[in-house]
Amino acid sequence: MRHLIASAALALTALTGTTTLAEGYPERPVMMMVSYGAGGATDFQARIVTMTAGNEDALGMPVAIINKPGAGGRVGWNWFATQADADGYTLAAYNIPHFIAQSVKGGVEYSAESFEPIANWGADPAVFVVAADSPMNSMNDVVNYAKENPAKLTFSGAGLFVGHHIAALQLEKTAGVKMAYIPTKGGGAAAMKAVIAGDVMGGVNNLSDAFRAQQAGNVKILGVFDLERNAFLPDVPTLKEQGYDIDNASVNFRGIMVPKGTPPEVIDKLAAVVPEMFKNARVASKMKAGGSPMHIMTRDEVKEMWAAREETLKELLAGL
Amino acid sequence: MKTFAKLFSSLRLKSQDCGKAGRGEESLEFLYYFADVFTPLSFGLLLLGTIGGLILGATPGLSPTMAVALLIPFTFHLPATQGLILLGAAYTSTVAGGAVSAILLKIPGAPANIATTLDGHPMARQGKGAKALQLSFLASAVGGVFGVLLLIFLTPLLSEWALAFGPSHLFWLAILGVTVIGSLDSASVVKGLLSGCIGLWLATIGFDDIMGAQRFIFHPSLGGGINIIAALIGLFAIPQVITMFAKGRQDNSAEVLVVEKHSIRDAIREMMRRPKALTIGTLTGSIIGLIPGVGGQIAGLVAYDQTKKFSSEPERFGRGHSEGVIAAEAANNAMVGPSLVPLLTLSIPGSPTAAVLLGGLLIHGIFPGSDLFDNHPDVAWTFINSMLIGQVLMCIFGLYVAGLAARVAQVPQSVMAAIVLGLAVFGSYSVQSSMGDVYVMASLGVMMYFLERFGFSAAPLVLGLILGPIAEANFIQGSMIANATNGMAPYFLSGALNISLIVIVIASVAYSAWMELRSRRYTSKEEIIG
Amino acid sequence: MSMPSLPRIQHILASGVVAAVGLWVASISYTAQPSEAFLFPRMISTVFVLLALWTFFKAVLGWTKVGNGISARQLVNLAPGLAIALIYIFWAAKAVGFYTAGTAAFFILLTLYDPAPHNALKSWIKRIVITAGYLLVMYGLFAKLLKVYTPREIFF
Repeated sequence: MRHLIASAALALTALTGTTTLAEGYPERPVMMMVSYGAGGATDFQARIVTMTAGNEDALGMPVAIINKPGAGGRVGWNWFATQADADGYTLAAYNIPHFIAQSVKGGVEYSAESFEPIANWGADPAVFVVAADSPMNSMNDVVNYAKENPAKLTFSGAGLFVGHHIAALQLEKTAGVKMAYIPTKGGGAAAMKAVIAGDVMGGVNNLSDAFRAQQAGNVKILGVFDLERNAFLPDVPTLKEQGYDIDNASVNFRGIMVPKGTPPEVIDKLAAVVPEMFKNARVASKMKAGGSPMHIMTRDEVKEMWAAREETLKELLAGL
Repeated sequence: MKTFAKLFSSLRLKSQDCGKAGRGEESLEFLYYFADVFTPLSFGLLLLGTIGGLILGATPGLSPTMAVALLIPFTFHLPATQGLILLGAAYTSTVAGGAVSAILLKIPGAPANIATTLDGHPMARQGKGAKALQLSFLASAVGGVFGVLLLIFLTPLLSEWALAFGPSHLFWLAILGVTVIGSLDSASVVKGLLSGCIGLWLATIGFDDIMGAQRFIFHPSLGGGINIIAALIGLFAIPQVITMFAKGRQDNSAEVLVVEKHSIRDAIREMMRRPKALTIGTLTGSIIGLIPGVGGQIAGLVAYDQTKKFSSEPERFGRGHSEGVIAAEAANNAMVGPSLVPLLTLSIPGSPTAAVLLGGLLIHGIFPGSDLFDNHPDVAWTFINSMLIGQVLMCIFGLYVAGLAARVAQVPQSVMAAIVLGLAVFGSYSVQSSMGDVYVMASLGVMMYFLERFGFSAAPLVLGLILGPIAEANFIQGSMIANATNGMAPYFLSGALNISLIVIVIASVAYSAWMELRSRRYTSKEEIIG
Repeated sequence: MSMPSLPRIQHILASGVVAAVGLWVASISYTAQPSEAFLFPRMISTVFVLLALWTFFKAVLGWTKVGNGISARQLVNLAPGLAIALIYIFWAAKAVGFYTAGTAAFFILLTLYDPAPHNALKSWIKRIVITAGYLLVMYGLFAKLLKVYTPREIFF
């Protein structure tokens, strides 16, 4: 029996042609976990930004995307914090403010300290949308309606303690109104469907998805939850311009991270190579084609951003 | 909504100039792009997707969702049209191919094929495996072509329909599914309902999708909840493997499934004689397939149940009745076309497969909706046409596969058990590269084997597992909206659609109860209650 | 009352286990926090418990009509195969590697359940050939065609 296993193994080695003695990291394909479903915005962008990983000037090895969706990303990140190998062959996509907000709120087994950021590839602000035939035409209309009808303005978002929810909380807090936030199961797509179908009166959604829905003539975009207007929507004013003092705490930053305990050499190599990989021209053109805003940041910049977000979110979520 | 009417007015059948439909004439625009399907690359990919999909679908343990997800990287490198053709062909034919293992091994390839096992496997056990397969592919093709034609001609109307289903309607639809549970593939109504309850409970394990609270996570492998594909593999494949073990080391010849030859002409004739099953299956599949997030998984089961209820001989269902196979397979392919309506017109992916197709469009900078049909009609129509032709190809190759069924059935039990076990492990692992899913698959499978010995059954359990999250999420969302607006009763109980669904639910329950009483009068009480 | 038959004891055991699970689920559903997240489990588990107790009492009273139970002979037959399958799935697949463990499990199961004689060289050759074919197909399908990312194998 023993002999048989050995010969089978030998046959396999011959088949794959792999060798355990290859030098330098990475010596085999790298896996990257995305905590949202295949075809979702995060998955789609993760696949684009890693498509050139196999090039010699990048990692030299392909990156395989693995989806572990569920509960607004909690399922995937919990797995990543508790079960992923810290050997440099298991990467994950992060979404800020989602995972930090969830860890501040509690009930999960990760926090910002569980992970080491590598680099950031994109920033997708939240926007406020209403159906194309809605009588509301600005954020003031929305807030006035909410003032006259406390807790009656229904608006959808992708879940609790994700970017959309943070934007919703900021809006309620700054404008001093009470509204009815309806979290949907099935991510931004389901939340958008609720707006278009008229199940709810409005919604917070990703800029990239809202941009598409607006192009198709299904929704109006009333405001951007960011510090500046976005290149994809130069005509849509920010919330700040409309008189609501809201910063970029809800902007969905997407990037790559590894589990705590990954060897420092590996982190250094990744931190040096990955931002360059994001800068590839092919990546940029594909991202633009899909309507996905890019925002490349290095490991140090991301570290700073994480710390700043954690502070803001602790303050914002303190009362909940 | 007016924009859609305008947008798709081009599709309206105008007059007699169908034959020479040209770009300028705006009628039957899709005919203009038929030739594009037959370029060497497109047609080659269509063939590859169809044959590959059939083989993958027929392999126990591999699911359509998985096959499509694994094809994503290809769509990044192929031109938009060809990428979509490959994905579309693979999707259509894996769903149809899933019938092969559902019929011969009682292992459904996808949730869509569960209903096919109910009559398909009994047929195979009676030696009518080839006939069941032929019927399933013929019905798939009829349903599939009808579904795509709906997509071509009625898209604007259908997109309004798809949007009409809000949380309260989806909740009632899930409840309608629940009413099917008791009578599904179980000799005992109580044990059928109990199996369904176990499934509904299993579905709540893991993180609650809306609140994010952890529920019933008593082992780390359950952190991600119970993956439906892993559960499907475990609940159906593992009991089959253990059943083969339980027969022991014996003479194979006595145990090989006999597959009698059956001519295709007879199968066509048989299907023509069952127009009711074919019609109900096709219509139910098309209507339910349209509803975002719900349709695909339950279309086959609801169609099967409706056909049974409208049949003059409902007692023959579950014992190898060809109407059961026809209805289930017509429905699960009829849903393919309409399920793409919300994606193509509103840019809302209604299923994981549609989400993947969306990625295949976005990577090339094409936005579904008016952009797709106005600026890239070649992509849209070539893709839709390829699905039409794909259905026909699928049927041709499927009928050929049906002829090979006898050989599959001759694989000795010992080899079959070992192969299915291996495929179950690899198949459940590859859904999301998770060992946890493999553990869940095996645990559920071993549990199901023993439960089956005591009169419980897998089909209602899986139905509970599928419907649980739909019912719960829509109930919670609906009650949140209701509380912010007019209150629970008006929200859940008023409106034409709510009321029609409630009426169907009540009719369905009443009819089941009446059937139960009627059969009790004829048979001895003992046999039925169990 | 006569001596309960083997299936009847088995039915009592099986439905007892199901009822116990139901009670456990219900007790968690009614006590766990946050209680709003357990609204749906409370509804399900209530029905679950009622149906499970009904089934259990029917089994105790010997009214169960559906399901034949398991014979001693079937248990003896399935035990070795199930043991190999469980060792393969819960330990070997991760510890030894998917392809190595899968091939070994396949060969052992074939040896255990294939009716061909164990003392003839020809039957061993046949089993080895089938196993090799299985390994090739699985490797080709999952590693090469579908590019499934499996844990590292022990030997390579």
